[in-house]
Amino acid sequence: MTEKPTALVIDDEPQIRKLLRILLEQEHYRALESDSGRHGLSEVALRRPDVVLLDLGLPDIDGLAVLERLREWSKVPVLVLSVRDGPEDKVSALDAGADDYVTKPFAATELLARLRAIQRRASVGAEEVRFEAGHLSIDFSSHTVTVDGHEVKLTATEYALLKLLALHAGKVVTQKQLLREVWGPNAEKQSQYLRVYMMHLRKKIETPEGPDRLLRTEPGIGYRLVIPPQKS
Amino acid sequence: MGERVSTSEKFDRSVTVAREYLIAIAFVAIVTALGLAIEPLIGHVPVALLYLLLVVALGMKLGRGPVLLVAVSSGLVWDFFFIPTRFSLHIVDIEDLMMLAMFFIVAMAMGHLTSRLRSSEMAERQRQRRTTALYELVHQAGLAPDLDAGLRAAISLTEKLFGVRASLLLSLPDHSLTAESHPASSFPLDEKEYEVAAWAFSHRQPAGKFTDNRPESVAMHLPLQADKDVMGVLSILPPPGTTFDFAERELLEAFALLIGTILEKDHLLQGFKHAEILEASERLERALLQSVSHELKTPLSAVRVGIDALAKEIVHSERIQTTLHEIHQALRRLHRVINNLLDMTRIESGVIHPKLDWCDTGELIQAAIDLAADGVRGNPITIEINKNLPIVKVDQALLEQCLCNLLLNAASNSQPGAKIIVRARVVHGQLILSVIDQGKGIPEADLSRIFEPFQRGVDAPAGGTGLGLAIVDGFVRAQGGRVAATNRLPRGAELTITIPVETLQADVLENLA
Repeated sequence: MTEKPTALVIDDEPQIRKLLRILLEQEHYRALESDSGRHGLSEVALRRPDVVLLDLGLPDIDGLAVLERLREWSKVPVLVLSVRDGPEDKVSALDAGADDYVTKPFAATELLARLRAIQRRASVGAEEVRFEAGHLSIDFSSHTVTVDGHEVKLTATEYALLKLLALHAGKVVTQKQLLREVWGPNAEKQSQYLRVYMMHLRKKIETPEGPDRLLRTEPGIGYRLVIPPQKS
Repeated sequence: MGERVSTSEKFDRSVTVAREYLIAIAFVAIVTALGLAIEPLIGHVPVALLYLLLVVALGMKLGRGPVLLVAVSSGLVWDFFFIPTRFSLHIVDIEDLMMLAMFFIVAMAMGHLTSRLRSSEMAERQRQRRTTALYELVHQAGLAPDLDAGLRAAISLTEKLFGVRASLLLSLPDHSLTAESHPASSFPLDEKEYEVAAWAFSHRQPAGKFTDNRPESVAMHLPLQADKDVMGVLSILPPPGTTFDFAERELLEAFALLIGTILEKDHLLQGFKHAEILEASERLERALLQSVSHELKTPLSAVRVGIDALAKEIVHSERIQTTLHEIHQALRRLHRVINNLLDMTRIESGVIHPKLDWCDTGELIQAAIDLAADGVRGNPITIEINKNLPIVKVDQALLEQCLCNLLLNAASNSQPGAKIIVRARVVHGQLILSVIDQGKGIPEADLSRIFEPFQRGVDAPAGGTGLGLAIVDGFVRAQGGRVAATNRLPRGAELTITIPVETLQADVLENLA
């Protein structure tokens, strides 16, 4: 077994830091704490954590500015924790370089799932050939998609969309990013394409009205391919 | 540019043509008398020079017609009184005949040239007067410290320049005309004149005296046309017997245009200031809300994380797990209440600005059901939706919250196991979302007020702040829609959201992307 992953919590509320530390240690993380943006930035540089949990309302520098500065030199996965729950707040955090966003108050399971997703994304290599989530499986080498073992025919656009979401599985992908990468940089505002193709994609890969819906909409933000919890 | 355009000059200008002819004849008579007096000393030929001098002098002052009259009559009078044979037009000497012919040619040419010189000089003066007048108006009215002082200056300047009395009617914010003239006006409009002014206002054309529209009126009414709107009407009452020439009409219209522009400038400035104040107060509200929200949600997060961490530690005791589950449920409820209170505050302080984007209604309904999941677990939900429903432009986050609240409301009014139906349609550019339950329905008396805050049904089940439906109402209104409740036969209630939307048929796009 490799070394324990390190998580840095940047939050000015001591109570939240203390409790998050307990939660993280339960999940076998090594937890580091920081109470301000400036200190947090130097901690990232010094201790090189594997993942950062960042609050947006910091006393010295605004969390968004911390993110922007961090992204100038580091690719460490960042999960934003904030009470700001408007879609525009989330989009600006994601645009500034956050990997995902959780609004306070949050459920521990949700937080841990997001943490795992952004860490996995950070460690995924280009050589990944297969992707599986619930009844869905994608073979990237042969471009085949199967649902419950049956092959599903997808158009090139649908496949590109699904592949992008699968590569970021568990993590939100902004509408802008999806449009840019699938339709090209001029399509960033053409959200109608996205709606229609997601509609088709859902019909093809989701079992109707099942509780295990894979493609979730984050209104005003984008989409998330949810990995269903493993049934053991 | 201190020179003022004086009223005396104005009267100079209005010297009538008839008077000019009289003056011309009078001067010819005077020079003739003078010529008769000195003729014995100098002979009859130099007298012609006196006449030429007269033609030139009058050419500087009088119009072309009178000057030509002077030229012709001088020639004839000179011939009659001075050239031998005297007191007859008959000429004996060939030399005199030539002199007379020369006199005619020279006098006519001089008269023509000087009157042309005069008219171009007059045009120049008029241009200068016009420029000065407009400058004065801009200076006194446009740059006045406040609008009222500016309008007073505009009225008094108009009166002084044109020798008239003036009255100003302004347009109201709803683009209608005020009934009362501006206080600085110097004559009241009677009912008949007001009607003409209103006509000029609504038709954006001059009306009343000197115009083609209702010329029988005593006053002339000019609309104050600005860039887009008519800002009011300038009415002027000329003294009886006055007429305006083309240049004056033009200057008056330029005045009206300039006053209109000054009014519009002020109007825009006021709007700008108002928007600034509104924005500042909204910023404050937002900051306040954000800080309250932070203070309420931070301890809530701490409790939540604490319980989750605790639940992982103590797995063996069922009693403790049950206790933790109950705390958890209570916390969830508290969270919902806090969110409702914050949303209600946001609605009431008007800081909700919907962000419209394309949305798949099916997806929206599914997401709303997910959002309401804990509250509607006991009731199966059926979705009734047309397969070819177009995608619609709405604020999905707001609408999702609305639908979630309607579902929670339906579930709280339903027996466990009773069906809830969600129905979506697009009719005539309106998205219609209804949630239908099979509960007891809403008492008739409550139908109209269930969307008001803190209105809870008489026999509503425990729980809930009475804000859920008020929030639906607020969010739907913010998107220009409305929400209504009706009872269904034989039982149950139907709550319906109707929102005007832009739609796009999905198959239109198939070939585009």
